[in-house]
Amino acid sequence: MRENGSDRRAKPGKKWRRARKEALFGFLFASPVILGYLIFVFGPLAFSLGISFTDYNILSKMSFVGLANYRSLFDGTNPFFYKSLLVTSYYVVLSVPLQVVFAFAVALLLNRSIRGKAVFRTIFFLPTMVPVVASSVIWLWLFNPDLGLLNQVLKFLHLPQSQWIFSERMAVPSLVLMSLWTVGGTMVIFLAGLQGIPKHLYEAVDVDGGTARHKLFRITVPMMTPTLFFNTVMGFIGSFQVFGQAYIMTGGGPNNATLFYSFFTYREAFESMRMGSASAISWILFVIILLLTLLIFKSSSLWVYYESEGKA
Amino acid sequence: MNGKAGWLLSTIFVIGFVLAGCGGSNGNEGGASGGSSDAAPSASESGTEGSSGSPSSDDHAPVTLKYTFWGSPNEKKIQENAIKGFMKKYPWITVNTQHIPDDYVTKLTTMAAGNQLPDVGLLQGDQTLKWAEEGRIYNLMDFLNDDPDIQLSDILENTQYWWADGKLAGINGALEAMAIFYNKDVFQQLNVPLPPTKAEEAYNWDDFVKTAQQLTIDQKGRNALDPDFDPKQIKQYGVMLPTGLYMTAVYANGGQLVNEDGTKFMLAEPPAAEAIQRWADLINKYHVAPSPAQQKNIPGGATGLQTKKVAMTIDGQWSLADLGVSKMNFGIGVLPKMQKEVTMTLGDPIVIFQGTKHPKEAWELVKWMMNPDSTLELQSSGLWMPVLKKWYQEPDLVAKWAEGNSAHPEGYEDAVMNNAFENGMQQPIYYVRDLPDLNAIIDPALDNVWSGKTSAQEALDGIKAKAQAALKGVYTKPQ
Amino acid sequence: MTGSKRAVNIVLYVVLIGGSCICLFPFFWLIRSSFMELTQIFEMPPIWVPRPFKWSNYSDALTALPFGRYFWNTLKIVVLEVSGTVLTSSLCAYAFARLNWPGRNIIFMVILSSMMMPGAVTLIPQFIGWKELGATNSIIPLTVPAWFGGGAFNVFLMRQFYGTIPKELDEAAFVDGAGYFTIYSRLMLPLTVPPLIAVGLFAFLNGWNDFMGPLIYLNDDHKFTLALGLQLFKGTYNAQWNLMMAATTVVILPAIAVFFLGQKYFVEGIVMSGLKG
Repeated sequence: MRENGSDRRAKPGKKWRRARKEALFGFLFASPVILGYLIFVFGPLAFSLGISFTDYNILSKMSFVGLANYRSLFDGTNPFFYKSLLVTSYYVVLSVPLQVVFAFAVALLLNRSIRGKAVFRTIFFLPTMVPVVASSVIWLWLFNPDLGLLNQVLKFLHLPQSQWIFSERMAVPSLVLMSLWTVGGTMVIFLAGLQGIPKHLYEAVDVDGGTARHKLFRITVPMMTPTLFFNTVMGFIGSFQVFGQAYIMTGGGPNNATLFYSFFTYREAFESMRMGSASAISWILFVIILLLTLLIFKSSSLWVYYESEGKA
Repeated sequence: MNGKAGWLLSTIFVIGFVLAGCGGSNGNEGGASGGSSDAAPSASESGTEGSSGSPSSDDHAPVTLKYTFWGSPNEKKIQENAIKGFMKKYPWITVNTQHIPDDYVTKLTTMAAGNQLPDVGLLQGDQTLKWAEEGRIYNLMDFLNDDPDIQLSDILENTQYWWADGKLAGINGALEAMAIFYNKDVFQQLNVPLPPTKAEEAYNWDDFVKTAQQLTIDQKGRNALDPDFDPKQIKQYGVMLPTGLYMTAVYANGGQLVNEDGTKFMLAEPPAAEAIQRWADLINKYHVAPSPAQQKNIPGGATGLQTKKVAMTIDGQWSLADLGVSKMNFGIGVLPKMQKEVTMTLGDPIVIFQGTKHPKEAWELVKWMMNPDSTLELQSSGLWMPVLKKWYQEPDLVAKWAEGNSAHPEGYEDAVMNNAFENGMQQPIYYVRDLPDLNAIIDPALDNVWSGKTSAQEALDGIKAKAQAALKGVYTKPQ
Repeated sequence: MTGSKRAVNIVLYVVLIGGSCICLFPFFWLIRSSFMELTQIFEMPPIWVPRPFKWSNYSDALTALPFGRYFWNTLKIVVLEVSGTVLTSSLCAYAFARLNWPGRNIIFMVILSSMMMPGAVTLIPQFIGWKELGATNSIIPLTVPAWFGGGAFNVFLMRQFYGTIPKELDEAAFVDGAGYFTIYSRLMLPLTVPPLIAVGLFAFLNGWNDFMGPLIYLNDDHKFTLALGLQLFKGTYNAQWNLMMAATTVVILPAIAVFFLGQKYFVEGIVMSGLKG
């Protein structure tokens, strides 16, 4: 996000003409997504912000209620707001680092010259392709306290067993464990990123007699920072909105232990039919994610290395 | 960049506000054209206006209706056949059926927001009265009052959704009721007497517990009465409980969710809490019923019985549909008695949505779906029970659906049909306002009861104040 | 030296095979269940191999619903979605990553922020919008947005990859008199094949598995998609698990094939050969 200084050397007049042309093309090429935002996204976002100040229940007319929806969330009139915020934050803090590191490790492994690479890659991506309705059946069995595979294994190893998703304390960690199994998408992005690292950099390390560890920490990781950055930001946004597991597997329980924010929003909107309140809930989340994302973006200049800017 | 971003975002917010205002007024129009609850009388007006004599006359302008519903592929087929029959009888009416496989409420709510509701459709029970109050559903009394073919008194009271005196939002597609279903082979193998079918002879609680204990077997073949019984290694459970439908137990013990006028939360009162505790004891004290966690790996209904994971289930009568085709030797019993012999009745209504241009024809369709003659396959398959009284009272009509088929074995008429007809009590969704909010408070507390962490009384006392604060009263029924 | 290398390799394959087992397990479970009687699926301890193999589950599942039609409907949506996403996201990302224009970073943040809103509250206004355009009950709401950059996720993804390409490359091409579009299509596009394949794969899987979109926007049975059809087996009162598993297996096979074909583009060296060309 730094100023691009590459054309400072050009002559003033030419420079100005070029800058204008560049700006024109930049805007032109970006216009599909800008238009798309204005047409498909902006309206619904504005609408939801608007109704967050009303008592709209979808079926009724709406009347303006000012900040009442927000107030009833913050002052605890709605008993689930803080709980779901807490539960979701816990999930985010636990899952994002684990997912990113795990996916990165798997991608590194699958990027080596190994036999049957194509097959291994496909296998590791498989869990992402199995629809949640089907995979949740399997996980419910894995997690079963009496008969489930996980506890059978723990028992075999003489380790203490767990109630997994059926215990208030273990429910979120269990779902994080399950999420690690579907990091295929993140892994694919890392794989794509690994293709972009010029081979000659590794060759240079070989010439200097460097080890595999040098290659990893001096070349792979720095060159991968843009991809790491992407996956971290997307991990944050995605984890804050985790929904399917609560919706299909736990119903938010036990005792609200997995009352994830998006699930809570959905329930508020479509079951309790308080679209106004649901919109307020969503906008609070929106602001939280936005601030965090801005923070990550701000910090990115410290750790993300862009080839296009680094050499300017 | 931050400053600029902030500026831009705030501009967007402001514009959004303006736009949302416009959107808002659009929404208003939608709501208004849908009509508020006061607009309901217009139903009969437009109804009479649109009426063009008896079905036999030929000079009808063509009418197209849309009917939405959910259900398995089999239900889908039968409902579509019923609709075909309707179109045969009323050749000028075309009914487009729309089957919504999942997330019915989300889809219908979205359609409502876009003013694209169907003319007639199933609606989920816990949403119905709210929809009615918001003026999105016709008052069926406007049609019933003038209808020569059918009267309110012909219809089972327990299938009616009232949102105020004189305002009938819908009538169930089917009556459903709770009962005991069991695998006969298991009982015979273990020499346990079969559950009673007549309400007067229902198990008392201790007998029921003992029966369940005899039927619960661990991996080494010991039953739950055996001192060496290993509750960690249960092979076959005595009974599967529908913990989500705990009101079945509460009603049986003379308890209530809320008091008559909906001003007091009653679930923490002794009869209700005691009933819930009894169910929880089956799980945690006697180890004869799977906990909700264990239930996740035991198939429900017919499959659980057939695989002998459970010997009995307390379940809705809809399970007959699967039992009937399972080729299993199954039986039916009445629910155990605590204070009273009652069963809880359930079911989702078929309603006429505001916005239909053809309320008269829509009503004909509702009437058609209400008549078991047109949906007989659904009734005889065991999935539905009729909503018309005479189908319970007149032996030749009863014979049409409840006899001579594999879904309705011996004892059915006593254990389910008569019991539901005489001792049925409606599930709270028929009368408690804003029930989803109340459930959002109750269900997490009960999670801890089913898992044995707290007693029912403790858990319910803990949420009593919160639940009391969330009470919004009840919908009044005609007396 | 070779000994330790061999040890490393053995460990590597052990890890890979172990991981594969974990990843294959659900798939194995899916296929196993798809050949079973409904009563066997939940048997505990589990039955690993169905006995007998109930092939009829497949014929039952595939004839219970018009899967052929669903397949074509899904294919139409997916083709439009993938082509739109791949074509436009890359061009837009190029503009955000490598061209300087006023407001670029702010606009990027605003667009990115569109992903931060839970879908539950934007569903209804979006639906109303499409209804006003008269486009509900058609595939327009499901495919047209893909042609407008394919969403913030894909633009962001591509933007990150453009960031890894040295700036000197466009400079050199610019000095040689190439226009911006030429630079994009001749120079940048070949260099970003791997991420673009990833974008295409995601778009494919999204379209293939999307359930909520078709549910909300499509009304007629004959327009339904595969993902919607799968839900039908999840009955209101009792699910026909074995049929659903059989149908699911059939539905995800094409997805697996597409991934298998697509992943070969994540092969080291493509970028370098592009640079030399």
